[in-house]
Amino acid sequence: MSEYAISIASNMGMIAFVALSAYVVLVVGEISFGQQAYFGIGAYVSGMATAMWGWPFGFALVLGSCVAAIAAFAVGALTLRLRGLYFAIATLCFAEMIRLGLNSIHVQVEIDGEPVGPDGAEGFGDIRWMFEHDVTTLEYMFIIYALLGAVLVVLLLVERSNLGAVIRMIGQDPLLARSQGIDVGTCKLLVIVFSGMIAGLGGCLYAHFATYIEPNVFNVMLGVHALAYGLIGGLGTALGPIIGVVLDIGFLEGVRAIQGYRMIAFGGLVAILLIIMPRGILDEVRIHHIKRWLRRQ
Amino acid sequence: MLKLDDLSKHFDGVRAVDGLSLEVDQGEVFGLIGPNGSGKSTTVNLICGVLSATRGKVTFKGRDLHGLPPHRRLNAGISRTFQNIRLFGELTVWQNVWIARRDAPGREAGFIRNWFGSSARTREAIEETLVFADLAGRANDLAQNLAFGEQRRLELARAVAARPDLILLDEPAAGMNREEVEDLRQRILALKHDGITVLLVEHVMELVMGVTDRIAVLNFGKLIALGTPGEIQGNAAVREAYLGSPDSESA
Ligand SMILES: Nc1ncnc2c1ncn2[C@@H]1O[C@H](COP(=O)(O)OP(=O)(O)O)[C@@H](O)[C@H]1O
Ligand SMILES: [Mg+2]
Repeated sequence: MSEYAISIASNMGMIAFVALSAYVVLVVGEISFGQQAYFGIGAYVSGMATAMWGWPFGFALVLGSCVAAIAAFAVGALTLRLRGLYFAIATLCFAEMIRLGLNSIHVQVEIDGEPVGPDGAEGFGDIRWMFEHDVTTLEYMFIIYALLGAVLVVLLLVERSNLGAVIRMIGQDPLLARSQGIDVGTCKLLVIVFSGMIAGLGGCLYAHFATYIEPNVFNVMLGVHALAYGLIGGLGTALGPIIGVVLDIGFLEGVRAIQGYRMIAFGGLVAILLIIMPRGILDEVRIHHIKRWLRRQ
Repeated sequence: MLKLDDLSKHFDGVRAVDGLSLEVDQGEVFGLIGPNGSGKSTTVNLICGVLSATRGKVTFKGRDLHGLPPHRRLNAGISRTFQNIRLFGELTVWQNVWIARRDAPGREAGFIRNWFGSSARTREAIEETLVFADLAGRANDLAQNLAFGEQRRLELARAVAARPDLILLDEPAAGMNREEVEDLRQRILALKHDGITVLLVEHVMELVMGVTDRIAVLNFGKLIALGTPGEIQGNAAVREAYLGSPDSESA
């Protein structure tokens, strides 16, 4: 694989984590414009863990995703009573708060005579775990995809389970779900925490791939893209957002001919799809038909 | 088993239900009729807890239901169907029935239990309910793909799956043809036979007269008559209330 192909593939893999995290929130019936914040939290926390405190990579991943999950728990608990537009705006505000917060934190330690750590708007460089451990970009790509695969397996299993059905019920009609005795609040909170954890894990991977991160990477455009991937690929299965990512990054960015027009092509694609397939390519109804067809085979 | 005491619901100025007192006995099919807008659906909503009363109280099996949210009342044994069909359209018929089971997951009673599968007993009970509602062949179809009559039956199946002691049916025959109404009558009688108390809100007189033990008549939120079907048919006040309302004989 060429370095270019590896970098495109790695990017797809890492962005897929944010896309999946936005997707699970969409499935439970809410639109979050703030998933990029968990990605950012994961990136910063795990980067600090390896670069500043010398933690092993694996522990840094766990720490980064857990801190992101805790942040998601806090946001989820505070916004539990909000619905629709209010939930969307609250998540956006929270994410912007995090981004602005990152702009003003300066926590650095001296390593080999060099200051290492988040330096406000100047960003946070020298997250050199990959170099220090002679991990090639190809190997790192496999790490990304192994973890993405694991997350996908978990999501697909949950989707097949009773819990998955309950989550979809909440997404479709929370009041009816409530009247059937479903604990809507707890289920929603659970989904939001899990969404934070997935995005956080993606962020951890991103920090160590990029080696340099800055607050502006985690701006609202990342969150909007994450939402768009689910809406393109479909909300009927966790594979939907993956399709969205592949279409956007793999296809539009990968094909160099349309490079300069990528955002135009992407915007057009989203607009057209939302009109003809409001819940994406693989929506609930199509997934139902596919499952049925598979069962017959 | 169900007792309404001076039950009232006012929507800024509109007295939808106004000082309604009545008692439904264990095991009977109790009809609730009245012209459009007379407060029947509001009464159902007050009993199942979707709305909270402005005044008065609902007592069920000797227990005051004040402040109890709908899902607690469901667990206490009160289930219902909706006048405007309300189903999880993008889920299967089976799942729509399954969620009403008291031991379904995500329910407060057993949040962690049964997350990843249902017991054989649960599955059997659901199959049975589907057979009862004549939906066994459609278990794996999406609810939104059912015909209107089937969706009504699914509403009924879901209400039955909760194993209620009292079932509230809000105009279950609306939009049904004669044959479907007769099927529904048989089903209501089967529920009665199983010892379930039924509160039937209905416009279709042939069903109400043919299946109920007693009937209460509402007009402007007030009880204007109470008696057996025969008594109600001969009641002058009832005739007057219905004559005053153009859509009364919508059967
Ligand atoms: N949510 C509500 N807000 C305001 N008015 C309502 C509401 N629900 C019902 N009403 C009014 O209460 C009265 C009784 O309504 P309803 O119980 O639906 O009657 P029925 O089911 O007998 O046709 C009507 O005048 C209706 O307009
Ligand atoms: Mg009504």
